[in-house]
Amino acid sequence: MKAAIGNPRVLIVGAGPAGLAAAAELARSGVSDVLIIDRDDSPGGLPRFCHHPGFGLEYARWPYSGPAFAKKMLGQLQDTPVRISMGTTLLSIENGPVCEVIGPEFGHAQLEPQVVIVATGIREANRGNRVVPGVRPAQGILTTGLLQQLVHRNVSLPSYLRRLVVVGTEHVSFSAILTARHAGIRVVALIGADERVQSYSAAGWLARALGINIHLRSEIVSIAGTSERVEAVRVRKDRVTRDIACDGVLFSAGWIPETVALANGPMLIDAMTKGPIVDQAMRTSIPGVFAAGNVLRGVETSGFAALEGKRAGAMAAMAVAGKIPSGQARETRKMAQSRVPQHWDHSLPEPLELSDRWRPARFRDAYERQT
Amino acid sequence: MTSDFDIVVIGAGVVGTAIARDLSRFKLKVALLEARPDFGDESSKGNSALMTSGIEIAPDSLEYRLVQRGYARYLEEAPALGLPMRKVGALTLAWSDEQCAILEEEFERVRALGHQDFYRLESAEIYSRWPNFGPGIRMALWAPEEGIADPFSTPYAYVLDAVTNGVEFRHSWPVQSVDRLQNGWALHSADRNVVRARLVINASGLRADIVEALAGYNDFEMRPRRGQYLVLDKAARAIHDVIAMPTPTPKGRGILISPTIFGNVIVGPTAEDVDDRDDRATTVDGIKLLKEAMATMVPGLTAIPVNTAYAGMRPATNYSDYRIIPRFDHDWLTVAGIRSTGFSGALGIAEHVIGLIVPHVFDVRPKGSLSPVSVPDLSEPSNRLLKNGERSGADPAYAEMLCHCECISVGEVRDALASPVPPQTIKGLKRRTRAMFGRCQGFYCGARVQAMFDERSKP
Ligand SMILES: Cc1cc2nc3c(=O)[nH]c(=O)nc-3n(C[C@H](O)[C@H](O)[C@H](O)COP(=O)(O)OP(=O)(O)OC[C@H]3O[C@@H](n4cnc5c(N)ncnc54)[C@H](O)[C@@H]3O)c2cc1C
Ligand SMILES: Cc1cc2nc3c(=O)[nH]c(=O)nc-3n(C[C@H](O)[C@H](O)[C@H](O)COP(=O)(O)OP(=O)(O)OC[C@H]3O[C@@H](n4cnc5c(N)ncnc54)[C@H](O)[C@@H]3O)c2cc1C
Repeated sequence: MKAAIGNPRVLIVGAGPAGLAAAAELARSGVSDVLIIDRDDSPGGLPRFCHHPGFGLEYARWPYSGPAFAKKMLGQLQDTPVRISMGTTLLSIENGPVCEVIGPEFGHAQLEPQVVIVATGIREANRGNRVVPGVRPAQGILTTGLLQQLVHRNVSLPSYLRRLVVVGTEHVSFSAILTARHAGIRVVALIGADERVQSYSAAGWLARALGINIHLRSEIVSIAGTSERVEAVRVRKDRVTRDIACDGVLFSAGWIPETVALANGPMLIDAMTKGPIVDQAMRTSIPGVFAAGNVLRGVETSGFAALEGKRAGAMAAMAVAGKIPSGQARETRKMAQSRVPQHWDHSLPEPLELSDRWRPARFRDAYERQT
Repeated sequence: MTSDFDIVVIGAGVVGTAIARDLSRFKLKVALLEARPDFGDESSKGNSALMTSGIEIAPDSLEYRLVQRGYARYLEEAPALGLPMRKVGALTLAWSDEQCAILEEEFERVRALGHQDFYRLESAEIYSRWPNFGPGIRMALWAPEEGIADPFSTPYAYVLDAVTNGVEFRHSWPVQSVDRLQNGWALHSADRNVVRARLVINASGLRADIVEALAGYNDFEMRPRRGQYLVLDKAARAIHDVIAMPTPTPKGRGILISPTIFGNVIVGPTAEDVDDRDDRATTVDGIKLLKEAMATMVPGLTAIPVNTAYAGMRPATNYSDYRIIPRFDHDWLTVAGIRSTGFSGALGIAEHVIGLIVPHVFDVRPKGSLSPVSVPDLSEPSNRLLKNGERSGADPAYAEMLCHCECISVGEVRDALASPVPPQTIKGLKRRTRAMFGRCQGFYCGARVQAMFDERSKP
């Protein structure tokens, strides 16, 4: 591994809404030498792949399309000294903070920034994580994220894929329906475990109007077909099982924070949220390391993630300037597990100049609402 | 199109590829025919990947002898091929009086065969060395030489070596009918290609009976037996890093819990006799059994996320031993019934086959020079990262990660696509690189990997 070359003062990991908002806030606060790294091939995070409107509302007060919101976030960094290094992956963070990275620009190297902001986002639980039995064809078993990326990148889908069953009834499940329609795939059924649709009720009406059968209080039992393709899913409701013919199954939601680079290090991870434990300043258990966005828990909107990133940026700027300590306070009040933040430090000031746009009440409420 | 060979091997499972590799050492014209688009796509793809020394096998069998040789050759030859192997050791566990009695007997039996590196452990010692086992274990047998290896790269290394040293590998070439010639056989594919061979080796694994029947033989019946597995996330290895299995019953070895060479932990296999040899589906009942075994043996593992579940199919017959049947008056050699030890035994089987053929059937000499071959070591991400870091100065593609869960770079995927035995399907690419085999199962990289694959496949 190469020794540190050109350590940035602030390293932001993840160029999604949270990371980009943090960078914009740092730049606004006059912190120079901010580097964003992202392991993907272009910046913007998950919204980049999602072409329908509904992104950025809380942050930018407009329901942008995913790519438009990503573009807006990147636009904010124009004429700032913030650098972005794409194709660079964070591999681990140790106390220091010391960051192990690999990428075309750095090779396999160690960076020792003063402050790190982790904004690595979230993914959906796939079929394997949910241990759904049945056949294992090479194609036709998807997540929303995978389908949207395939469509966005113009990768051809199997030509036989015409009828899709979507598992889940959250916002993202309806996002999957829109993308499937766009790709010429008909969603034949939506399967949800709960009493009612987890997204807006209007989304449910819309789905029914599109001819999609919504099976509530139902669970997917197994996937039938051959080693080449899906032919049906077996669904159970109140002990009655039935088969729904389809060519593919899409698993939506079931959120899992992306903590692969944190898992083997000293950072404390919350057993319920599966994301880093933070206080209201977004400070993690490693001094100098902040975290924001959906890596903290599943799932909030892109606009909310951006607001959180902005908050982390503001707090990190204060830490860089020596106005607040960069580590969590020891006497922090511990809040109930599985809420974000897990700690509330009463000695910290709330940055006043931002409070009107942040609507701290809503913010704090949303923090504590998470279960 | 017709072509002529001295020897044609039917079936590119781990056994057929190992035989082809050994045949490539001689001045012979050899073809390896495979029905599927890629090698290793049947029995050889869904196994436990234990590299076993053979101690648990009945000593009067051919299997015992060939697995011992296969294991010894693997230790010797795997490093040069780039194939990783870890001797993690195996524990056979007993909870009841009855099981203890069986293990006592087994201990005496194995020691009497001259295996000294084999131990009997009392409960206290087991729990002090492996504190994460569930309660109630009374004794165990400890075989420290048992290992784990890479189930996909192994047949890949064999076929790559064979091809590099002159064997013709034809995939998507199902043998559909055969004609007896004066000397040898003519084999016909579905799309009317013909291959002539002076000697045919039937190594068609799970479908050996069907190929045998084409030539008029029916000495055995297939009794396909399915085995289901759970793959646990890598966090599991901090809890469990040894091969652990219950005392065997007359029905078989039972469900084991073992680390994999890639750093995960697997739980399985079940043993289910099935009617349809292609029914490699996992089932509700199978997964329930696996979860129960996990809760009993290593309860701490139940909190670890599952990455996926899969099933394999053992090419078992109505015999317990291998079915290696020379029929040299008919220019045919059957290598079948390699039921549950073929991964370990392949190199021993190949050596045995060469011994049957050279010089008795073909009086030929070894080739003067060979081209060495090696495959990428896919075992530990940390090794790969170091290597990728080193070569990224000259070629930055090795530092650009594509599969983030398994740490596979763009450069490694590009290299696999350019292999002399290139992947024909996305699954083939997965097996050559491990891209998409991690915990996200392609959520992050699936689209980019598919795009790279499609790009290569464009005319
Ligand atoms: C399919 C889908 C549909 C959605 N639809 C909507 C919607 O309609 N409206 C809405 O408001 N929200 C929607 N969301 C949620 C929205 O996408 C998220 O709230 C938002 O993207 C979270 O932003 P983030 O910055 O926390 O993470 P992300 O956008 O996920 O960005 C994380 C970034 O970090 C990078 N990264 C991760 N790990 C590493 C590492 N180790 N090293 C370097 N880089 C790393 C990733 O490459 C990525 O670019 C949807 C989410 C999904 C999955
Ligand atoms: C659940 C399970 C667990 C196991 N665990 C272990 C273990 O831990 N250790 C160990 O050593 N072994 C293990 N094994 C055993 C090992 O996997 C097998 O013994 C081995 O894979 C058999 O290989 P093969 O080459 O004989 O058969 P196969 O892999 O089935 O190869 C036969 C090939 O022939 C091809 N073919 C078939 N018909 C035709 C035709 N007409 N024309 C052309 N080609 C044809 C097929 O497509 C296939 O590729 C396990 C097996 C299973 C199923």
